[in-house]
Amino acid sequence: MKITAGYSRLKKLTNLLGPFIGLILVISIFSLMPEVSGRFLRLANLTSVATQSVIVALSALGMTLIIISGGIDLSAASNLALSCVLVAYSINLGLSPLLAALIGLVAGGLIGLANGLLITRLRLVPFIVTLGMMGIARGIAKWVARNQKIDAPLTWLNDLMVRTPHPSWLLLSPGIWLMIFLSIIMAVVLKKTVFGRRVVAIGSNELTARLCGIRTDRIKIIVYTISGLFCGLAGVMEFSRLTVGDPTVAMGLELDIIAAVVIGGGSLSGGEGSISGTLIGVFIMAFLRNGCTMMGWPNYFQEIIIGAIIIIAVALDRLRHRQD
Amino acid sequence: MKKELRVIFFLACLIVFLALIGCRSDRSSKASKGTGGLKKTYQIAVIPKGTTHEYWKAVEAGAIQAAQELGVEIFWKGPQKEDDRSQQIQVLEDFISRQVDGIVLAPLDDRALVRPVDEARAEGIPVVIIDSNLQGENYLSFIATDNYKGGVMAARRLAEVMGGKGKIFLIRYLEGSASTTFREQGFLDTVTKEYPGLELLVKDQYAGTTTESAYQLTENLLSRYPQVEGIFAPNESSTFGALRALQEAGLAGKIKFVGFDSSAKLIQALKDKELDGLVLQDPVKMGYLGVKTLVDYLQGKPVEKRIDTGVTLATPENMNQPEIKSLLEPDISKYVR
Repeated sequence: MKITAGYSRLKKLTNLLGPFIGLILVISIFSLMPEVSGRFLRLANLTSVATQSVIVALSALGMTLIIISGGIDLSAASNLALSCVLVAYSINLGLSPLLAALIGLVAGGLIGLANGLLITRLRLVPFIVTLGMMGIARGIAKWVARNQKIDAPLTWLNDLMVRTPHPSWLLLSPGIWLMIFLSIIMAVVLKKTVFGRRVVAIGSNELTARLCGIRTDRIKIIVYTISGLFCGLAGVMEFSRLTVGDPTVAMGLELDIIAAVVIGGGSLSGGEGSISGTLIGVFIMAFLRNGCTMMGWPNYFQEIIIGAIIIIAVALDRLRHRQD
Repeated sequence: MKKELRVIFFLACLIVFLALIGCRSDRSSKASKGTGGLKKTYQIAVIPKGTTHEYWKAVEAGAIQAAQELGVEIFWKGPQKEDDRSQQIQVLEDFISRQVDGIVLAPLDDRALVRPVDEARAEGIPVVIIDSNLQGENYLSFIATDNYKGGVMAARRLAEVMGGKGKIFLIRYLEGSASTTFREQGFLDTVTKEYPGLELLVKDQYAGTTTESAYQLTENLLSRYPQVEGIFAPNESSTFGALRALQEAGLAGKIKFVGFDSSAKLIQALKDKELDGLVLQDPVKMGYLGVKTLVDYLQGKPVEKRIDTGVTLATPENMNQPEIKSLLEPDISKYVR
């Protein structure tokens, strides 16, 4: 079982190729549809899809890390909603928008930290801990918001996610730039740093990793905290988009986030996954949604397609493992 | 080897995908052929708050009826998850990208949808708002029930059946829900101004979004104030929840009760005289006028800024009259499944 560097690079390439072909096909199919052909590839529509992807993409960056480490985070979407509500709440308290955004971010990080601590200290399965946290975070969000949405005055925070940014030399909204920037950072962290290597090692074989001297618990806590911070940031972006703090926002979005990672080649048994793959997964779903809506297709149709794609992606994942 | 397999899988899935598309577009082209002709058919997106509730089915029926009469094509598409503000914004943005000729929108939020509507306006796409209020001014027309009037009507009916005096509950629906707040306000104002004989035992209790929560609230209120003689509830779920509580306590039909909106169970209760009145909106008309107003505008006709679709009171006495019956149980099977 000798694997040369060249072969492993090839393998990584082919792992990405599947999802990438899927994305190209989705885009080309819609751009060939006569009803929307001229409009689907318009720059305005592409930036609109990119803006719509920011929230899922940011949360999926953290989720990729967790899934590679062999865990799962079901509380991601609730965490996001909590952050969204807290930002609106803080702005209404008269805090500066920057401080409000930081509060949202930190709240996300704290929920992540709590997940990590519970999983490592109590030796509980991530699925259970984060399932519980899903309810807790959602509950706190509704509590803070007193069961309704919070209106907050418009600030510069609400300009982060507009389709046409001002000043116009930005070309894309600040949210999209942030997504690109953080994706690059996360890809580098995962590929080039000792920390990234250790995350992969834990996901591949936790026992071996521990025997090799990796402090697995500490790494896991960091992983969940980082992921929580990303959810917090996604919550800030959600607030920016909605202009209100809505405790019921992103209901069920955790499944979209996980699906994006899985479609992009992440393995729920850990040790595999990549930032680029995840982003492709996010975009496949975003383009499908956008395309289906532009065509005026009913929702059930679009849900069936996305469901089928998830199963196919996981089937491919299994197939790949059998051959290895 | 692996590579090929993966490509094959994706191709297979996309072939299925294409086949499905084929089926769909076949059907829709057939549907639009009858009305199309040579001149350009307008494409209008109608975006409800959700797609599974009875109420929205009735709105859809009205929209389809207008589309058939006027020869326009409509896209009926709500947020994928009911009541998801973020997804409703996405749907709106996607239709702006599609550059439809106009959009009819029932906004889930009076604030969050303002900016996407501004964007539609900036792209030259007219928007008609139906059902619920939207802040700002960037829309053509607002077509909805006059909810305040509905509340007034309910108060007068309750006073009528109670002979103008007695102890009553006002069961509220949900904090921050604009339409029901107007109904409650209309009810409250009328009772305090016109009927000094009516005494409000409860006026600040919220039933919550589900039938279950309304049921529990009413149960608790009934045990705390057994002397109550009349109740008003401002929407379908709170009316049904309160009705269930009355039925369980054996008080249905004894305590006077006026509700809002209609459903099969509420119609039955009206028939059994467990309900003394139901204030009805006209969702079919709302959907119809939404599309009609937009087409009028596109054809250069003047449109009104505010259109009231009217409220009607159904009582056990008048419920069999054809015009009331059609509001209680709108015949929508002709247009939607």
